Amino acid sequence: MYSVSLRGVEKRYPGGGTEPVVALDDVDFAVEPGAFVAVVGPSGSGKSTLLNVLGLLDDPTAGERRLDGTDVTSLSVRERTAARKESIGFVFQDFHLLPTLTAVENVTLPTTFDPGTADDRAATLLDRFGLGDRLDHEPTELSGGQKQRVAIARSLINDPAVLLADEPTGNLDTETGESILAEFERVKREGVAVIAVTHDPIVESFADRVVELRDGVLSPGTDEDAPEPSARGES
Amino acid sequence: MAARNLRRNRVRTVLAVLGVAIGVFAVATLGVFGNVLALGADDAIGDIGTQVVLSPNADAGVESLTDADVTAIRRAVGEPAVVPLRSDGAIVSGATDQQFATVYGVEQPGLAFTAAAGTLPERHRNGAIVGASVAESLGLAVGDRVEVAGAQTRVVAVLAESQTFSPVAPDDAVFLPESAFAGTGYDQVLVVADSGTAARAAAESIRESVNAREARVDVFELAAIVDEINEFFDLLGTFLLGLGGISLVVAGVSILNVMLMSTVERRQEIGVMRAVGVTRRDVLRVLLAEAGLIGAIGAVVGTALTVVVVAGLVVSTPAVDTDVVLDPSNGTYLALALTFGVGVGLVSGAYPAWKAANERPVEALRS
Repeated sequence: MYSVSLRGVEKRYPGGGTEPVVALDDVDFAVEPGAFVAVVGPSGSGKSTLLNVLGLLDDPTAGERRLDGTDVTSLSVRERTAARKESIGFVFQDFHLLPTLTAVENVTLPTTFDPGTADDRAATLLDRFGLGDRLDHEPTELSGGQKQRVAIARSLINDPAVLLADEPTGNLDTETGESILAEFERVKREGVAVIAVTHDPIVESFADRVVELRDGVLSPGTDEDAPEPSARGES
Repeated sequence: MAARNLRRNRVRTVLAVLGVAIGVFAVATLGVFGNVLALGADDAIGDIGTQVVLSPNADAGVESLTDADVTAIRRAVGEPAVVPLRSDGAIVSGATDQQFATVYGVEQPGLAFTAAAGTLPERHRNGAIVGASVAESLGLAVGDRVEVAGAQTRVVAVLAESQTFSPVAPDDAVFLPESAFAGTGYDQVLVVADSGTAARAAAESIRESVNAREARVDVFELAAIVDEINEFFDLLGTFLLGLGGISLVVAGVSILNVMLMSTVERRQEIGVMRAVGVTRRDVLRVLLAEAGLIGAIGAVVGTALTVVVVAGLVVSTPAVDTDVVLDPSNGTYLALALTFGVGVGLVSGAYPAWKAANERPVEALRS
């Protein structure tokens, strides 16, 4: 069973002129648990749209979308929010940490309004990423690499099935970028499907598989001849 | 979380809080002042409403009231005191001076008046009871000789200064025994009750019984004036509150502005919150909490300021009675202003909060 899959997905926007804009054109895309896939392509090719649709931030105009086998093509806003909280983690190029919160609070952000506390889990995660001594630091007191690590920890707080990264190394120097990618490797080994949209060739080199999105067309898609994996962790 | 968000731009938050504080202060002080005025007036004119003055109904051809009328009146009112009066105008002369004054003939002055000097007899048979102003201008004291309408007599009592408005104005009058007057009819009958309500009830029963068959007496209820005066103060109070309310509205607009600016600035942040799975309702709650906090803090500051200013007023102005200020009804105004402050915060913050919470994360993150 794939962690996330798209079949025949199309995303159209009403265009400025008479023609609608087709951001995604008949996209077939599936990622198994524990796989690291890089999505490359020129700007404006629809990479962000792909990420938005995968991440349940946007809905496809046509086609089917599945999360851990469940059809999540059309959900209400509330259902999508809940699904994101439970199964999807995001990592952004700009980190997008809340400046008024400490590292721990940023990591527990998805669970802030839930009863109980996830502070312990957050501390463990941050410790794992080497930030055990920076738990109470605010983003202004952290370096770019440290911020991205906090963002990764945040994306993992609810044990998601999928981690979506939008240019994760975009604002980092090469060395730091590589260390972040090493974290992604560790994450994928725990069975999370990692999908990164990127321009960075280093990211491509860390990925198990690279697909290209050009003018809304994805190539190659899933390897349809490959057998579906039976257990998590196999790629 | 809301508190920390507000702390990010301290100056902006402080200014918004200030706006609410001023608005709350305005509403609270104007409300309290209006109330203090009304209470003070109530206090000062409280005695007015306790009298009913009956005069013969000249329109019906009744020239004076008879003993039978007085009995009927007594029967109608029951408890309140009934004081029939004869009246005339005459020259009153003291040792050195003389003036024109109203002269009343009364049998039981103690029922309606109080003496500042001397004692009021149970039944007035000899001597003159002099009103406060007359006594002062003619320099009369108890025991002095006084000439009223040519007849010599002695002052047995000087009345206390009257607190009421009345067609029967004792300050400028002299009271002689009934026997000093020729004729048998009464020119006026005073009904003195304990309270405004009792006076009103007495007036009603007089209208119903004494005037049942023919309108023999003209009923003058001072309570009617009291009502009008109270109505005036109510209007004044409402008007003042309205003025104060305007400044609260302005404060509300400023909160709206602050919240709009701050949510626009935080568009991406809010988008991230939504992306990681925070519900729209929870985002709304955080933002509303921010606006509510501004309102609440402003309200507390404004109310505290009001208390300080009102206390200062009491200390500095002798005209304002401490009792009036401590009246619990003032507390209502304070509570009202406090609630309005918080309410303004929540209401003004509602639109920006709703707008921000409902924005699609995709759009928010795009910026």
